[in-house]
Amino acid sequence: MAEYYLLGVEIATALLGLILLVMGLLVPKTHNKGIANIAIIGFIAIFGVNFLYAGTNASFLNGMYLIDPFSLFFKGLLLIAVFFTCLISKDYILEQGYGQGEYYSLVTFATLGMMIMVSAGDLITFYLGLELNTIAFVILVAFRKNCAKSTEAGIKYVLLSAMSSAVLLYGLSLVYGATKSVLLTEIAKIINQQGIQPLLLIGMIFTLAGFGFKVSAVPFHMWSPDVYEGAPTPITGFMSVASKAAAFAIFVRFFMIALAPVQETWVIVITALTVLTLVLGNLVAIPQTNIKRMLAYSSVGQAGFILLGMVAFSKLGVAAIMFHSLLYVFANMGAFGVATVVGKSIGSDQIKDYQGLWKRSPLMAAVMLICLLSLAGIPPLAGFVSKFYLFTAVIEQGHIWLAFIAIGMSMVSVYYYLIVAKAMYLGQPEEGAEPIKVPGSVQLALALCLIVLVFFGVYPTPFTNLVLDVATAFFPF
Amino acid sequence: MLQQFYAVLTFFGFGIFFAIIALVLAKIFGPTNPTAAKITTYECGLDTQGPTWVQFKISYFLYALVFLIFDVETLFLYPWAVMFQKLGLFAFIEMIIFIAILVIGLWYAWKEGALEWL
Repeated sequence: MAEYYLLGVEIATALLGLILLVMGLLVPKTHNKGIANIAIIGFIAIFGVNFLYAGTNASFLNGMYLIDPFSLFFKGLLLIAVFFTCLISKDYILEQGYGQGEYYSLVTFATLGMMIMVSAGDLITFYLGLELNTIAFVILVAFRKNCAKSTEAGIKYVLLSAMSSAVLLYGLSLVYGATKSVLLTEIAKIINQQGIQPLLLIGMIFTLAGFGFKVSAVPFHMWSPDVYEGAPTPITGFMSVASKAAAFAIFVRFFMIALAPVQETWVIVITALTVLTLVLGNLVAIPQTNIKRMLAYSSVGQAGFILLGMVAFSKLGVAAIMFHSLLYVFANMGAFGVATVVGKSIGSDQIKDYQGLWKRSPLMAAVMLICLLSLAGIPPLAGFVSKFYLFTAVIEQGHIWLAFIAIGMSMVSVYYYLIVAKAMYLGQPEEGAEPIKVPGSVQLALALCLIVLVFFGVYPTPFTNLVLDVATAFFPF
Repeated sequence: MLQQFYAVLTFFGFGIFFAIIALVLAKIFGPTNPTAAKITTYECGLDTQGPTWVQFKISYFLYALVFLIFDVETLFLYPWAVMFQKLGLFAFIEMIIFIAILVIGLWYAWKEGALEWL
């Protein structure tokens, strides 16, 4: 008898998704404002359930599914991200006027898919989670039915992610062909015995391309600006943090556990990807005039920073990846929360329309500023701490030149983040522009982001200890 | 292992050889009398009537999706039914959960009007 209690978090999430779908069917369309609240409360409850498993280090079905500190950490991260998404979406979706039940149940199923991804101990389970997450996201991206851009983004996403899935699957099948196993730990053992083969090498490169697409690393990032621009803004935020974090979790697990014996080989390719991603993502963000496109390129750049942790291939590197992914959730959700409200009330996502935002809504201007500065890595905000760990991890392994490039690109990122800050604080609002009203749920989300970013920037020690513990359990070298 | 594939290779060789022989013999012995109708490219089917870029009813697609769900359900039900005695109560409960999830899907499709042909 398998130990089904280990799957508590996933079962609860699946149940929540079904309940939300059924509620969308049962409750009359005029009275369904409360569905968002049920989703929010449900996610808080599941987050609590996730805490009950703290310290568990077990595997399910002979290692196909892993409940270890690493996966529990990322599940917590996903739940935080989806919680913020629901808070930000509440008024946005109410104004759309349709699909309350569908929207929140799809968000829940996307989260379930990502949970399966981060817990996957074998390639097939991982692929299952990936597809569940991608299909849910395709529908969410195209959720603005009467907006041509949203539909276009949906079609683009479905075609490109099908292509990347094909590449990824081909790579995984070659890895299976070379090692005769789909279990990550088995693969590592077999590669240790037989060394590197050409077949394995090709498989590795194909899987790298597939993962590169999912984390939007250059040169596989082409889809992200268009899809990010067309999708409903809360979904853009959700995709940029949760989908990326889940993909990074399995990326790290696959390359650092299964392919650990051939680290010298893949680290060359990943270093090249890192440099390209850092340079291109940050430089192309400069000329963007649309805030969603700017944040899309900034998220490409952030993927480059997270990749530094993989190049380091050390305990500190893994810890820094986790630290950075979690703080990235708060910073990005804050920024997208502001973009959602401003986009709805002004009807435009252009950076020039942020002129004089501080007069129209001081809270939103302040949160946007703090979030952008945290993304740029300015002390005393949390983004500085996580970037500091990433750079330290790389320097420890002797790649000083890489740290120099990363620090340089970090400087570049300050420039384009401050363009928005300049518009918000130095520009004057148009004549007769009225104050923007921020919905209560968004206010809560923004305040939480602000507190977390400042708190962990000033006092990161407890959190650093947590990620170092998790990293030690995950990567004992 | 590899030697077993020689049979396949031989088969391929003969296959190509016979195809070429047939074409060459027809070229040598056949009468050549091309007319306009004979040399036009042959395509399957008939000439289209009217414009072909017409819109299909999306209901086709929805029907196909709903059909697919229950098609796959049968696929899972069948092996379970065959092994029912051996699998016992646990598999029975699992199957009920599986069908319940599908029924929610059908309910949704029904309520949203996927089964109506307007």
